[in-house]
Amino acid sequence: MGSAGTAVEEDTEADLASGVADPWVTIVWNDPVNLMSYVTYVFESYFGYPRAKAERLMTQVHKNGRAVVSTGGRERMEVDVQAMHGFGLWATLQESGARGVA
Amino acid sequence: MTPFRAMRRGYEARFEPVERIVLARVARDVADMLREEAGLDLFDDGGEPGLSTHSAPGKGQAWANGLLAPDELTDADLARLTGVTGVGRIPTDPAAQRLLPDASKDDTEMAAEFRRLTQNDVAQAKVSRLEAFAALLDLPAGDDAPSPVGRHGAPPPVRVPREDAEAFAGALTDVRLVIAERLGLKSDDQVMQLTDEIMWDRQAGREIPVATDGRAARRFWSGVFVAAGYAQETLMDVMLAELRGRRHLG
Repeated sequence: MGSAGTAVEEDTEADLASGVADPWVTIVWNDPVNLMSYVTYVFESYFGYPRAKAERLMTQVHKNGRAVVSTGGRERMEVDVQAMHGFGLWATLQESGARGVA
Repeated sequence: MTPFRAMRRGYEARFEPVERIVLARVARDVADMLREEAGLDLFDDGGEPGLSTHSAPGKGQAWANGLLAPDELTDADLARLTGVTGVGRIPTDPAAQRLLPDASKDDTEMAAEFRRLTQNDVAQAKVSRLEAFAALLDLPAGDDAPSPVGRHGAPPPVRVPREDAEAFAGALTDVRLVIAERLGLKSDDQVMQLTDEIMWDRQAGREIPVATDGRAARRFWSGVFVAAGYAQETLMDVMLAELRGRRHLG
């Protein structure tokens, strides 16, 4: 279940190899209310990420204020953002080349 | 409230009757607020396409044989006529904005388009699960029962079936987000400090005042916020453990 599920660094490698980037990203933003365990659960259950990756992304959200949680085509990212809003996480989508995407 | 535990028929915890009543009440309030803020009722009045079903003053005066004059058509009328039901009203309540946030920080056009396409579905799903959450917490013998007694003299536990657990946790999230907004909790530090204060009071045996005005109200809602957080935290513990167990086996 969930989107392509590739990490950002993996995408970078794929980009270099193929010259084709995933053009859009889903970003989850930190908020003071959502529990770390809940955010981790969402990343594991919805995206199907392994525990280590889910916890790394959760920590990134918590400490850096945001994290790119999925990458892919625009429609796929819209599905992911809608799902995150359903879970109560604040997510946005943007083009991966846009300024501010880590 | 006791921690949630994984049992054969679902996840179970014991809530005090007052915790059940208050959490069910606030979940229904959040559902009503969302319904209003997202404009869901506009699409749910059972009206026939094109017929005047308005009751607001100055709106919906019947034109000819019950049809609205073109300039009186609202989004809801258009929705009924065209089948496009994704017209998203931008919430004005900050708490509703948090539950139905913009999908872009700097592209207002994209955010508006996304809202138009998805907001009704997201809001409706939240309303449904908040109502299911409240129904699950309702005391078995009805609202007025002060302390229903189970087989062994204790109140029956709250039992969340596994297939409903994600929705239950989601409803807890929405309730906590709305209370936090009302309390003006903006930072991790504020939330931690408030949680510490409430836990300290609990350990000191101080009762949470039941009141609805001023400082007492703030204290009351802080207690509800922390209780909902405790329920969610312990529920996530058992849900994560089972999710990881399943994946490990699979």
